[in-house]
Amino acid sequence: MRRWLGRLRNAVRPGRLGRDLERELRFHVAERIEELRDAGMSAEDAARVARRQFGNYTAQVERTRDMDIAEGLDATLRNVRLSLRALAKSPGFSMTVVLTLALGIGANSAVFSAINAVLLRPLPFPNSDRIVSVAQMQAKTPQPHIAPARLEDWNRMNHTFQAISGYYTQDDSELSGDLPEKLTHALVAPRFLEVWGIAPQIGRDFSPEEEHYGGPNAVLISDRYWRRRFGASPDAIGNTLRLGQTSYTVIGVMPASMAFVQRNVDLWSVSAPDFPYARSRDLTWFLGVGRLKAGVTPAQARADLATVQAALARQYPKPDAEIRAGIEPLKERTVGGVRESLWVVFGSVTLLLLIACTNIAALLLSRAASRQHEIAVRFSLGASRASVAAQLVTEVFLLALAGAGVGLGLAAAAARVFQVLAKDLPRVEEIGLDWRIVAYSLICAVAATLACGLVPAIAGTRRSLAGSLASAGRSQVSGRRPAQFVLVGVQVALAVTLLAGAGLLLRSFQALGRVAGGFDADHVLTFRISASWGETGDLKRSGQTVKRILEAVAAVPGVESSAATFLLPGVPGTFPVELSVAEGRAESEPKIVAESRIGSAGLFATMRIPLLAGEMCPQESNTPGMMVNRLFANAYFGGAGAIGKHLGQPSSPYFPTAVVRGIVGDERERGLDHEPVPAIYYCGLIMQPGLYFLARTHGNPMALGESVRRKLHEIEPGRSVYEISPLTAHLSDAFAENRLRTVLLTFFALTAIALASVGLYGTLSYQVNVRQREVGLRLALGALRAQIVRQFLAQGMRVSLAGCAAGLGLAGAFTKVLAGMLFGVSPWDAITMTGVIALVMAVSIAASLLPAARAARVEPMQVLREE
Amino acid sequence: MRNDAPSRVELLQGTLDLLILRTLLAGPAHGHAIAKHIQRTSEDLLQVETGSLYPALHRLEAKGWIAASWELSSKGKRARFYRLTTAGRRQHAAEQSKWDAFARAMALILNPADQEAP
Repeated sequence: MRRWLGRLRNAVRPGRLGRDLERELRFHVAERIEELRDAGMSAEDAARVARRQFGNYTAQVERTRDMDIAEGLDATLRNVRLSLRALAKSPGFSMTVVLTLALGIGANSAVFSAINAVLLRPLPFPNSDRIVSVAQMQAKTPQPHIAPARLEDWNRMNHTFQAISGYYTQDDSELSGDLPEKLTHALVAPRFLEVWGIAPQIGRDFSPEEEHYGGPNAVLISDRYWRRRFGASPDAIGNTLRLGQTSYTVIGVMPASMAFVQRNVDLWSVSAPDFPYARSRDLTWFLGVGRLKAGVTPAQARADLATVQAALARQYPKPDAEIRAGIEPLKERTVGGVRESLWVVFGSVTLLLLIACTNIAALLLSRAASRQHEIAVRFSLGASRASVAAQLVTEVFLLALAGAGVGLGLAAAAARVFQVLAKDLPRVEEIGLDWRIVAYSLICAVAATLACGLVPAIAGTRRSLAGSLASAGRSQVSGRRPAQFVLVGVQVALAVTLLAGAGLLLRSFQALGRVAGGFDADHVLTFRISASWGETGDLKRSGQTVKRILEAVAAVPGVESSAATFLLPGVPGTFPVELSVAEGRAESEPKIVAESRIGSAGLFATMRIPLLAGEMCPQESNTPGMMVNRLFANAYFGGAGAIGKHLGQPSSPYFPTAVVRGIVGDERERGLDHEPVPAIYYCGLIMQPGLYFLARTHGNPMALGESVRRKLHEIEPGRSVYEISPLTAHLSDAFAENRLRTVLLTFFALTAIALASVGLYGTLSYQVNVRQREVGLRLALGALRAQIVRQFLAQGMRVSLAGCAAGLGLAGAFTKVLAGMLFGVSPWDAITMTGVIALVMAVSIAASLLPAARAARVEPMQVLREE
Repeated sequence: MRNDAPSRVELLQGTLDLLILRTLLAGPAHGHAIAKHIQRTSEDLLQVETGSLYPALHRLEAKGWIAASWELSSKGKRARFYRLTTAGRRQHAAEQSKWDAFARAMALILNPADQEAP
């Protein structure tokens, strides 16, 4: 090792070596001169003769130095040179191996790049492991929002946080341009940037005056908006933006990495904690984020906030006694949901790489066998077994390196694939190449070399040399080579495993598509309209706004009906509430718990949800009303008895007691993959952020998008209309993660079976070549061609049947992991398994038939003459 | 270029290594001393050219058969001294016996009569 380092230094730093060498050679000349002078020459003559004898000085320095470097690299270089020569002689083989490995390593590195970006890398903030999300928790409602007054208390009274802050978002329209532009606007509590540990890339943070009620209106803008609107000019600072009635001064630009907690935020401004409305301990709106002090664990912080909240409960028993504080590391909260999916995909792609390696190992075994002669010659010329094996492994390593190089190209393109297939994947914009991906690919290449090169190298050099030389070129009768067939069997088994997983996911996806949601999602256009929380102060006016918009939309030619709602039907989301009955309810009866939704009166007509009993909510009414679904009515009121009951929410100050007007059909509100549950629908909406508007259209919904936008611009010029898309697109986006893993797994599985069939084909073809003489003899002795075909076919079938059997066993383990991701199909779905086996057998037959037929075409005379 | 005696013989390829190893068997020496020693003991029949000597020395060093260090020469100048390593000693023995066998074979072929005599 030390010697190697020395040589490396010589190669890299010829300076030092050159000086040493010069000194050495100069000494030689000096000695020679002295010698000549001792013999009686004059000083001048001696110098001249010595120089002449010495020859070209520089050339000698160089030659000697080359020797130093070359000697060390020699063995390695010789291996590389020999390997390159050997590979160039069989370009077909080399290409096959490189492409197979490129696919295996590329797919693996691509998935690893996603895992690296999403799961492994810390969030892009200083000491980001100390950033946590903070939530207010209460028994009855699952809302995590925190009252501003309580947020300030928590921040003031705790001992474990550097700072606690919070934010909420709304979609605003910026009005200083020609058209209103929708911007996502985050309103943040003080200390927001302190929690993230970042500073604006240009400009400054909010000043203390700006964090108080009545202070100047200041706004930080996102990097993206800065580039789009101001062309990334530093002059953006000091510009004014108009949002609704208010003007804001731009004071700074956030760094591009600020894509948290919500990635699409364009603006940040302060929501002052001393705003009079914010004093109430009942009104909650902040989503909390906090930065822990160094060395504090989330558990300690949790205990600390619990103590703080206990003190607050004594001070304000009314709302605070029921409230607790929840803490979760922010990274976990951001990416926790996709961890399982990503690892499943990674596991699958690793199986694929394993198949690729097995495939190549089988190829190499065949190749080693056909190179026995060459290897034997090298042995007889005195090569050691180690050096021949080293050269064989070097060949594989060169191929693996080339494969990894091409694979890296694939991985670089993968970021775009992920952004298309799974745009909602958290942190998807961070996926890209970095040194870790490159290192990972290299490790893959080394691992692949060891996995598929070592065994053939050892096996290929084991033969006794005399035997090989003697039989050189002569194909032995029936060299059975079980190792190759075992490798092919392994490939089939792994391919079956992947196919089973992909098949189950596909069947789940299919089942999801067949689900009747209880509503009709076709021909429904959805869009959003900007609004701010400030408007919600005037209930009457904002209620009128919604009504006016809905009427205008319904009046657009081609629109059948219009509606508005918070959560789109069929898109996963849950909002459970506990209800009380004004008419009274026996203690013995179960608590009334239901999924709650809020929608305009036209929601049911627009979604084609049938009215089963009672009446629809009237368009306008002075008494709050609600609809309930059949499950709800049956579960708690024995059916029609529900109509006319007054239901209230004791735990929430937002919702008034409302009378049940009618019963509607059940629909899958919580997502198409969930069974319907008891649900209530409050009738009537006010204009506020987060609303979805729906329009049922006669024809293609997207054809009406522009008419609807123009119509709304006429009546609401200060608002922007955005996210215009058909409802079906929302439904399919809701399963984007599901789709991602299904698409990827299917792709891997198909690649796997393709590789396995190539492996089977290659191995059988090789067998046919080796046994040509035997086949020729048998044909000459009267064997039927059909027998020959049957024999080779049976050999292929035996291998793939064994592979299938083993694969089913592996699939059992694999599908157990998948069980949680399946829908409407059991992990042992007979149709899937039968289909997989049928597919594998069909492919195997095709792959075996070609070589078998070639065997039967052997001309006996020709083979025998060649011998 | 060379102006020395006409009786000079060319070194056989591969023999320089053996000659160097043999010379160093007597003890550490610098390049010039090695060249001089070979020339003198061969009665001036063999003259080692520096163009071959130094590359050979460095090659042997890289193979680990000889080791080098800067020391003071007998005249008090700093010179690079080479000495045999254990591996070098072994190598010398191997080369020597190979050479002996080769020389004997050559002799048998070229002078068959000589060999019959004793």
